[in-house]
Amino acid sequence: MKSETDSIDDGLLLRRVISGDEESFTLLYRRRHPAIYRFALHMSGNVAVAEDVTQEVFMTLIRDLKKFDPARGTLSGFLFGIARNHLRRRWEQDRRSVALPDDADELETLLAACAGAGKGSPSNGNGKANAPFLVRRDEFTSLETVARVRQAIATLPENYREAVVLCELEEMSYEEVASALDCPVGTVRSRLHRARALLAEKLHDEQPLRRVSAVGE
Amino acid sequence: MKDEGKLMDCAQFKEIYHELDRPGTSGYRFRERALSHAETCPRCGALLTEGEALDFALWNLAERSADWNASPRIEANLLGEFQQVKLAGSRKRIRKQFAILGVAAAVLLALGIGVHQRMESGAPTAWLEAANLAGNPAAGTTTAAVAGGSTPPGESTSAVSASANPTDENEYAEEFVPVPYADDPAASEGGAIVRVTLPRSALASFGLPITASEGTDRVSADLIVSQDGTPQAIRLVSQENANSDF
Repeated sequence: MKSETDSIDDGLLLRRVISGDEESFTLLYRRRHPAIYRFALHMSGNVAVAEDVTQEVFMTLIRDLKKFDPARGTLSGFLFGIARNHLRRRWEQDRRSVALPDDADELETLLAACAGAGKGSPSNGNGKANAPFLVRRDEFTSLETVARVRQAIATLPENYREAVVLCELEEMSYEEVASALDCPVGTVRSRLHRARALLAEKLHDEQPLRRVSAVGE
Repeated sequence: MKDEGKLMDCAQFKEIYHELDRPGTSGYRFRERALSHAETCPRCGALLTEGEALDFALWNLAERSADWNASPRIEANLLGEFQQVKLAGSRKRIRKQFAILGVAAAVLLALGIGVHQRMESGAPTAWLEAANLAGNPAAGTTTAAVAGGSTPPGESTSAVSASANPTDENEYAEEFVPVPYADDPAASEGGAIVRVTLPRSALASFGLPITASEGTDRVSADLIVSQDGTPQAIRLVSQENANSDF
């Protein structure tokens, strides 16, 4: 069931935020920040960077609220656009934030923790369960596959990575992604197509992807 | 994909197979045909299987990362910033309101001073009336200072300085008439009345109606001259017996 606050659209919330309503800002932040955070984390592979970027995105929103023009796209696209700019700026300043072993481990830990929390199976961060909890084979395989996919995504060129994260992981439409990335829809489509081909290639090099189901194979 | 009626070929399949489940795309539109093609083409069938596996892996990753959230510290920082910006905004608004009020007060003050000065200087023609009252009958000779126009009517007879020579009983003078370019009555304050003798034809330059045939003889006139030497008003002066000239 939708709560009353869920039914308030972003436009109304923004207007309230502009008039200084703190509750509306909190609501807007809680509604929109997870996607921004995930995007930044998938793009950077670093929790600290993802948090900084998320904070910067909403700081920018607070300071330049009136920059958002609903006629030019959705608020979500606007926020992703800011996040992307901040990420790029960071990469220009410090190129080491992507796909370093430490960062990769950090994300593995996070993924494993999520898997543990979701399925009731604590994990040691390597995708393997701690005793005495037993992990079903399908879960282990799934976690392993997820880690491989994430690593493969992390090694994609930046433009392709953005397309995969936004289109596939955030399930945004081509139009929304085009607005966020400030490029034509056709470009998004071709980048995604190429990114998927690259991903399949990378994963295929290791071992063919197996389809995992809840009941195992 | 223009030929919707035809069977899909491998090239067309490769172009769209990754978006068969994405609404609004051509892959979604031609989904059935793409699946039919994949059933008949082993290579495209394998591509489809691999694509589905990738879809599933990505979906799995999305599912696992769905609960990722920034730490509560970020929300607290942002709320702090929001409050500061809000406070700064309200301060700015107050400063702006003060500035507007200040400007309004300054404008009102300037208007008040202007009105006050105008009231003190009286109506534009007051100085002229004063001069007329003072100089009729006209001052006999030379100059007389013109007082400020705020002088009450009762005292306006003293507007022309007593230093002017006593009026010649035989003289007759018209009332002062402003010259055409005397657009600033206040300019005559502190000025003087000057008796001049000039050709009648010159009266035309003071805006008095003179016909060409009348312009040969000389006439006497009093000029109110402002401090900068500009004539502000003129009246003609004549002897009683010469009154018919005017």
